[in-house]
Formats: sequence, C-alpha cells, structure tokens
Amino acid sequence: MTATATAPRRARNTRSGIRRGEALAGWTFVLPVILILGVFLLIPVAMALWVSVSDWSGRGSPFSSNVGFVGLQNYAAVTTGDGLATRDFGTAMRNNTWYVLLVVPLQTALSLFLAVLVNGAILRGRGFFRTAFYFPSVTASVAITVLFIFLFSTTGVVNEILGAIGINGPNWLADPRGLLHILVGSVGITDGPAALTGSDFLGLSWWNWLAGPSVAMTVFIIMAIFTTSGTFMLLFLAALQNISPEVQEAAMVDGANAWQRFWRVTLPQLKPALFTVLTLGLIGCWQVFDQIYTGTKGQPAKTTLTPAYLSYDASFLDQDWGQGAAIAFILFAIIVVLTLFQRWALRDRPVSARRARQYALPTRPATASPATVAATQVPSPPDPAQKPAADRGEGKETRP
Amino acid sequence: MTGTSIDQARRAAPQGPPPPREEIKARRSTAKVGWQIALYAVLIVISLIYIYPFLVQVSTSFKTDAEAAVSPVSLIPQVWSTAAYERLFLRSDFPVWFRNSAIVTICVTLLRVFFVSLAGYALARLQFRGRGFVFAAVIAVMAVPSVVLLIPRFLVINQLGIYDSYAGMILPLLVDAAGVFIMKNFFESIPVSVEEQARIDGAGTFRIFWSVVLPMARPALITIVILSFQGSWNELSHFIVSTQSPELTTLTKGVASLAGGQLSQGTQYPLKLAAALIMTIPVAVMFFIFQKRIMNSAQGAIKE
Amino acid sequence: MTRKTRAIAGAGALAVAGALILSGCGGSSFDEPADGGGDGELTSSDEAITLLIGTSGDAETDAVTEAVAAWSEESGIEAEVKVATDLPQELSQGFAAGDPPDLFYLAPEALAGYAGNGSLQPYGDLLENKDDFYPSLVENFTFEDEFYCAPKDFSTLGLVINKGLWDAAGLTDDDIPTTWDELTTVAQTLTKDGVVGLGFGWEWQRIGTFMAQAGGGLVADGEAIANSQENVDALTYIQDRMADGTFAYAQDVGAGWGGEAFGKQLTAMTIEGNWITGAMTNDYPDVEYVVTELPEGPAGKGTLQFTNCLGMAADSGNQEAALGLAEYLTSTEQQLAFSQAFGVMPSIQSAAEQWTSDNPDLAAFLAGADYAQGIPTYDGTADVITDFNSALQGLKTGDPQEILDSVQSNLEAIVN
Repeated sequence: MTATATAPRRARNTRSGIRRGEALAGWTFVLPVILILGVFLLIPVAMALWVSVSDWSGRGSPFSSNVGFVGLQNYAAVTTGDGLATRDFGTAMRNNTWYVLLVVPLQTALSLFLAVLVNGAILRGRGFFRTAFYFPSVTASVAITVLFIFLFSTTGVVNEILGAIGINGPNWLADPRGLLHILVGSVGITDGPAALTGSDFLGLSWWNWLAGPSVAMTVFIIMAIFTTSGTFMLLFLAALQNISPEVQEAAMVDGANAWQRFWRVTLPQLKPALFTVLTLGLIGCWQVFDQIYTGTKGQPAKTTLTPAYLSYDASFLDQDWGQGAAIAFILFAIIVVLTLFQRWALRDRPVSARRARQYALPTRPATASPATVAATQVPSPPDPAQKPAADRGEGKETRP
Repeated sequence: MTGTSIDQARRAAPQGPPPPREEIKARRSTAKVGWQIALYAVLIVISLIYIYPFLVQVSTSFKTDAEAAVSPVSLIPQVWSTAAYERLFLRSDFPVWFRNSAIVTICVTLLRVFFVSLAGYALARLQFRGRGFVFAAVIAVMAVPSVVLLIPRFLVINQLGIYDSYAGMILPLLVDAAGVFIMKNFFESIPVSVEEQARIDGAGTFRIFWSVVLPMARPALITIVILSFQGSWNELSHFIVSTQSPELTTLTKGVASLAGGQLSQGTQYPLKLAAALIMTIPVAVMFFIFQKRIMNSAQGAIKE
Repeated sequence: MTRKTRAIAGAGALAVAGALILSGCGGSSFDEPADGGGDGELTSSDEAITLLIGTSGDAETDAVTEAVAAWSEESGIEAEVKVATDLPQELSQGFAAGDPPDLFYLAPEALAGYAGNGSLQPYGDLLENKDDFYPSLVENFTFEDEFYCAPKDFSTLGLVINKGLWDAAGLTDDDIPTTWDELTTVAQTLTKDGVVGLGFGWEWQRIGTFMAQAGGGLVADGEAIANSQENVDALTYIQDRMADGTFAYAQDVGAGWGGEAFGKQLTAMTIEGNWITGAMTNDYPDVEYVVTELPEGPAGKGTLQFTNCLGMAADSGNQEAALGLAEYLTSTEQQLAFSQAFGVMPSIQSAAEQWTSDNPDLAAFLAGADYAQGIPTYDGTADVITDFNSALQGLKTGDPQEILDSVQSNLEAIVN
C-alpha cells in the first residue's frame, strides 16, 4: 500500500530532498555496463561492418588511409562469384541448413517428450531424471565433442553396439556421403537426374544440395540433440506445470482420450514455450562453431563446414577479412529473418471461419454468441461447456 | 473434489448402464499402475542412454591406449592405468591451462556479478534521464548472435592494444545483457519500502544498494554466478581470437588442440578423455550443488 | 520518435562516435607497417627475438630449442622459441595484430600471400650461404624475383615397408616394387588378415606422387594441368586398387595419418616422408621398416617434396639478429644435427654427402630430390589444395575426371 502511494511522489522529487544524487548515481551505476557493451559489442559490429565493405588485407589498422571502400564486392564474391569462395559458402549453407532442418524439430520433439514423461513421474523420481537429462547441457561443447569423437570412432562404442546387433557401422567422422544420397543409392540411383545436376545455386548443383547431411554431420546432429534436449525439457516442464488441471479435467469429462487431450488441450497451451524453444533452437543452430573447430574442422570433404566456421577460416586462416566479415553479417541477417518469420508463423491468429463452425452450437440463444466465445478460447472437444460446470456448481452446493 | 465431479459427469453422460463404482476404480488403478511402470521403464532406459557416455568417459580415462581401442564399451578397465593423467599433469601444459581458465572465470564471475547488479539496480529503481534508452539498448544487444562477434572482437581488442593478454580475455566477457535483464527483473520485485526506510535513515544510494538491497538479492545473484561461471569456463571462440601465446591458453582451447592431436601423433583416447573429464569437473560440481536453482532459473526463463 | 527509435538512433550514434575515437587514438599498436627493408636495410635493436615453429614432435621441439639456446649464448642476443598449436592461424593473427614473431616457419604456399601484402622481409640475398641451397628450394621461396627466406630443410616422400610383414609374406628384396604393376602385385600379396597392403593419407600431399609418376601434376610451365589425362589415369589406378581392397586411406582404417596406420600395423606399406623416422622411434619402436624409392609410373619416377623456410617479419624490431639466427640454423653443422634428431634432409648441397653416409637407410629420400615436384606457390594455392583434398576424400566412389576438372578451374583462377 505504501509502495503504490509513494511511487508517484518519487517522480517529482528528483531534484531535491533525499533523492538528490540519484541521477548521478544512476549514471555511474550503469556506466560499466554501457562502456563494456558499447566497446565490445556495438563498436566491434560497426568495425566489422566497415571491414566487410573494405579491402583491408589484414595488416595494419582497418581505418588507415590505404584501406579503400569497395562497396558490396565482398558480399558478391561470396554469393554470386563463380569461384571457390562461393562454392565454399554454398557448401557451408547447405550443411547448416540440413543441420537446422534435422536438429530443431528433433530436439523440440524429444524435449517435449521427455518433459511429458518426467511430468508424469511422481515427485521423488522427477529430480533424478531432470538431473540426468539436463547434465549434458552443462558441459562445455569442447568436452562433449571430444567424448563423441571417441564414441563414434571406427572401433568405438557406437560401432561396437551396432555390431552386436549385426549392423556394420560406418566410419562415422570420416564418411562424407550424404544420407539422402545413401538412401537413394540403396535403390540403385547413383547419379542425379539431369534436371538437378544441370543447374546450380551458390556454386553447388541442386543434386548436391539435396544430398542431405553427411554421415559425419549426423554425428554432430546427434550431439546437438543430446546436449540441448535437457535445457528445453526444463522449459517445457515449467510450461506443463503451469497448465491448470481443470482444463484437462474438462477434456476428460468430455470423453477425450489421452492422445486427443495431448494434441487438442495440452499442446496449444504450450505455444509460448514452443515458440521460445524453436527460437532458441534456430538461433543456436545457425552458430555452430565450437564443435566443428574442435572436431572435424569442416572435413570430411567439407561436409561439416558451417558458415560460422567458414567466416573464421576465411578471415584468420586465409587472410580474407572482408569476405569473412561479409559471411558473418549474412549469417546475422539469416538469423534475424528466420526469427521474425517464425514469430509471424506462430502468432496467435483468429480462428478461421471453418474452424469456428465446428464449434458452433446448433440451438443456443444468441446472447454472447457461443461460436465466438468458443472460438476465442482454447479449443476444447466439441461439447457444450456449460453442462459440466453446471453439474460441478450443483455438486458444490449440494455437498455438506 | 475433482474426483467427485468426474464421477458425477460420468453418471450424467449417456453411456449405458454405469458399471459399479468399485469396478471402475479397480480397473482404472491397474491400468494406471501399468502405465506408470511403462513410464518409468522408458524414463530409466533413456536416462541410462544419457548417463552412459559419461561413465564410459571416466572408465576410459583409466584404461591404456590399447585397451581403449580394443574394448571401448566396457565400464571397468581390465588394467587400471593412470598413464593418461600422468602425461596430462606432468608432461604437458595442462596445469597452465587450468590456471588460466580459473583466473579468467573467477575474474569474470566476480566482476560480472558486480557490474550487472549495479546496472540492474539502476535500471530498476533509480530515476535518471535516458534510463529508458539504456534499457532498450541492452535489450537490442541481446539479439546479436555471438558468431557475428568473432572477427569484430578481434579487431577491437587489437586496436585497444590488449591482444594476447589477460585483459583481452576478461574485459569483453565482463558484461552480459541477459544478466542485466535478470537482475533488473529481480530488483523490481523487491518491495520499495525497504529502500525507503533506509533512505529515511540517511543512507546514500550506493549504501542502500550495497548493504540493503544486494543481500536480499541472493537468489538472483547466485543465478548470475552460476551462469557466468558456466559461460566463461566453457567459452572457446573468444579465447581463440583474443590470445596466441601458449602461456595464455585456457582449458577449452587446450582440450580443443588435444582433440586435433597436438600432444601426440596418434589417437590417444584416454589422454583426451581425461582432459575433457577434468575440464568438466568444476562445472559439474557447481551443477550438483546448485541443481535446484539452475533448473528453476532455466524454467523461469520462459516467463521472460 | 518512439522510445525504440530513439534507442536505435542512440546506439548507432554511440557506435559511430566510438569508432571514430578508436581510429583516432587506438593506433598505439597499429602504427603504419614498417617499411624497413625494401632497400636492403634491416632493423636492429636490443630487443629479444622470437622464433615460432610448427613442430613435428618432441624431437624437433627439443632440438630447435637447444640450437636456439646455443646461438643465444654465442651471440649474446636473447631468443625465444614458441611452439605453435596451429601455425597458419597464429601467424595470421600475429600479422593482423601487428605483433608477429620475428622468425617463423613459412610454407611455400603461404609465401605469396604474406609477401604480397608486405608482411615479409626478404633476406635471401643477404645470406652467406645463399648459393649452397638446392635450386628447386630457392625457386620455391622466390616471389616476384626476390629470394625471400632461407629454406631450413626438406623432405621427400618414399615407400616405407614393414619388414616383418614383408618377410612373413615370403617376399624378398627382389620383390621391392619398381613399377606400378609390381606395386599392385606386392600390395595384393600383403593384403591379408585384416592388414591392407598400402595405406596413405587422403590428400594431394600423398596422392600427388602417383600423379607425378604418371607424368602429370598440378602446374607446369606456368600453366595449370590438373585435368590432364595423366592425372586421370593416376587417380583411376588408385581407385581401382581401393576397389580391390589392396590400397586404403589411413583414415578409413581408423588412423589419423599414414604413419599411424603403418605403426599400428593396419597397413603393410605406406607413403610417407622423412618425418616417419621420428614418429616410428617415438611411438612405434617395435616395428621394423625399410625405406625405398617410390615405384615408377607410366612416365617414370615421381615424388613430392616438402620444405619450409625461416620467414622474417617486416615488422620485426631486430631483423639483423633474426638474420644471424637464420644463418646459424641453416649452417651445415646445425642442419646435420637436426637431421640426426628428426630425420629431415639438409637444404644445402654441401651437406648431402655427409648426410647420406650418416643415414644409409634413408638414402631413398635424398634420391627423390632429383625428380621431386613441389607445391605450386601461387597465392591461393592452399585453398585449392584443401578443396582438392576434400574431393579426394570421396575418391572411392567419385569420378576422377570431375574432381580434376574442378581443381583445374580453381587453379586457372589463381595461375592467371
């Protein structure tokens, strides 16, 4: 009570009285943060932007007088040139696209699945399982990469286990064949149709684009799912625990089985969590660097090359700083566009007319139109919502 | 209460002659127990899959190179050998790496907690012009993905002359926009009356912050400590671009170079796994101590 | 303006202001690059100098550290040896930061890039023993008619044979292969019981020997010849042997490089260079081996040679001292000591006789120097070779003509 009463008064007394030094204190307090964020975040981005449109060769200051402005030349060299730079960029984009296409849905599904399972376990066991699933997320990606290199080596754990059930495991991290190509090759198609091999995009033929992730990349995909499912499981768990049990009750009463309840009742209420998980997943997947640097450095056959690693490689190893910076900004743009797109795709839309008709009630007085009321609520199984409530109300009244 | 309503609803629904109540209950409870058992079975199998790699890691670090190649699956070494650890601690730069990681992590954690809570408090409680702008800037900055910062940070560190030094490793990691956000949110939830009281008693702004509000912010502070510890201990790309001398190599960079075969020409798995294991221990210890807090803060992230 | 717009505008202003300030004042470590040397003038001071090396193992590290320490005592100038974990990256970072090592190992393919952007100080003509170096090595380190740096040693590739497995298969000295056909037969005989006849790394740095033996190569007379029929024949030969199971990549049998596969007796023969001696002594002392020249292909003998030079940084503060160190490290005495320690061959002709009498077992490597091909030295070659290696990793199921066509187009882009 006193808090709300004093709030308005505070705003008017900044110049005198006991709140005198507040402005100064305020600025002093945020100064370290502003300085560090400004110097090590904003300014670097500005500098890199300049480098990406200049011809700085790596020696001396990028702002010195003999560094010229070349416009979008670096961006063009990476996207529309017909040399090695474009091919490498195309290869990196292809690899990362497949990585994202596989990791994001799989990790979302797995973490949701784990969350539902753990949610169903009794309180005691929950802690143990949460810990077990979350632990890999805590370790450094470097450490996990080293572990996975061991697990997936030619004579490693995974191949031993596969051998025990009769499958001859591939030489995982040295196998550059794309999964889709292997699949298609098993029915005898080894060369792409002319339509796909004829034209190309970013230096790679469409047949190559559709090769799928390589076997080596698959190891990294498995590793990503292994390490991130724990974190996202926690997010889903929190969301699950926030769902009020009453809606579930209502659904059960209306005769929905567990499967229907999950899809029609639980899942829509998890939408904010789903959005967070998808966004974080997308943003994270486009920045794969540590694992590639530690593990395969883009090999075999450049099938584990990612744009983030390519940006580092082009700048620090090839001295193509302009191109490296250009690749970094293209990546930035991709992440932003994808995040915005995903936000748009998952936005809360008004229910379509067809859907609304599903819930339209046949003989109801048109007070508050039940169709619109039902349409704007969480979709529940088509049953008049008032009956059980009335029953419940009656039940409450008549019980002692 | 809920059970009652379900029973009543079932009775009300037109489903033919209702079975006796005891039968319903018995049927439901055996089905329920069946489902629970299945649930636990699945959970246990999956958690074994998650835990097994780490167990293998521990056991392999105590095997000889030959045994690691021949029988990778077994969890008990036939011959216990500490050769990997000896090589790591006595004949390599591992202690130097550990020292560097420790220095950087401790500095970053302490300073980050301090700066971030200062800023969070100012944004939450202090009135000053431009407050809104600063907050908006902090939010905007959170959106920049770290991969974009690799090259730029190198360029700036160069310009400032702190390349290849502890300053270059520590300074850029000192502030984290997410941390400011967390602290601000937390401070806003502390009742104003406490501060008002202190102000009336004549305490200055910093005094209020330091002696009154900060002790109350323990849970949030611990969260920031955990996050910065984890973040800076596990950081790799920044250390790659900010240093080049071997004396400044951190654990992440060192283990990454081990994985690329630095200390040996062959595939010496026990050595690499031992290094990765020791690197994971401090974070794991932190994790187990602060488990509840970590998992709750991760769950709380969704509300933001 | 809304708050958000103001925020963005403010952030932008802050960034621009900061950039201007930094460019103005932050130049302390970023002075204009030193030009000392265009006219033969070397810088000189009392500063200590650093030597950055990319080592092949403990043997090399110890030998070089000892040598540098000895020179330090003699000359009175402090010198430090730094071992790189990733030489190209550390060099590049060092140059970009304006703080490169004074002397460093430099590969021929990296010469063009760094010489081109002025990072290097040419000093080849200032060396006392400049006429003693093998001409092919001098050529490797000449850019735009300037002899930039002193070659510190070189190695060639030879055929390394596991004596134990050789004898056990009933083969004798007469059976040592001198042609491709003989190689095919011998590899066939040796491929059994889980051992592959011939193993080597999946890179041009090994496969290039076959290309040379077939009469091909990467560049000849200033022209790219990557997709010539000879090269296609060489790759097809390898592909066929891989299909037979008699040749294999070291990586496919679970090793990191050819020497490891050979040492672990996963392959009976391998194609490796002088450094194999150090590796075998240190890591696989129980394996007995013999080194012979690689067999002749359709066009005769062929092998590859590898070398590094001691590059000098243009930004170095004490180039005179660096020159002295470079001369010391490439002297006859020192080079023979290094070859004792880690098996490389001296880069100076006057030491050849002594080396051969000291290392009769390794004579095959020196013999290779007569017909060895080196790596092309155009700017961007490293990338082309990396791309070629990526394609070679899929050679088993790939199309040699396609692979080589791609290399040809990449090479043409940089040769012209």
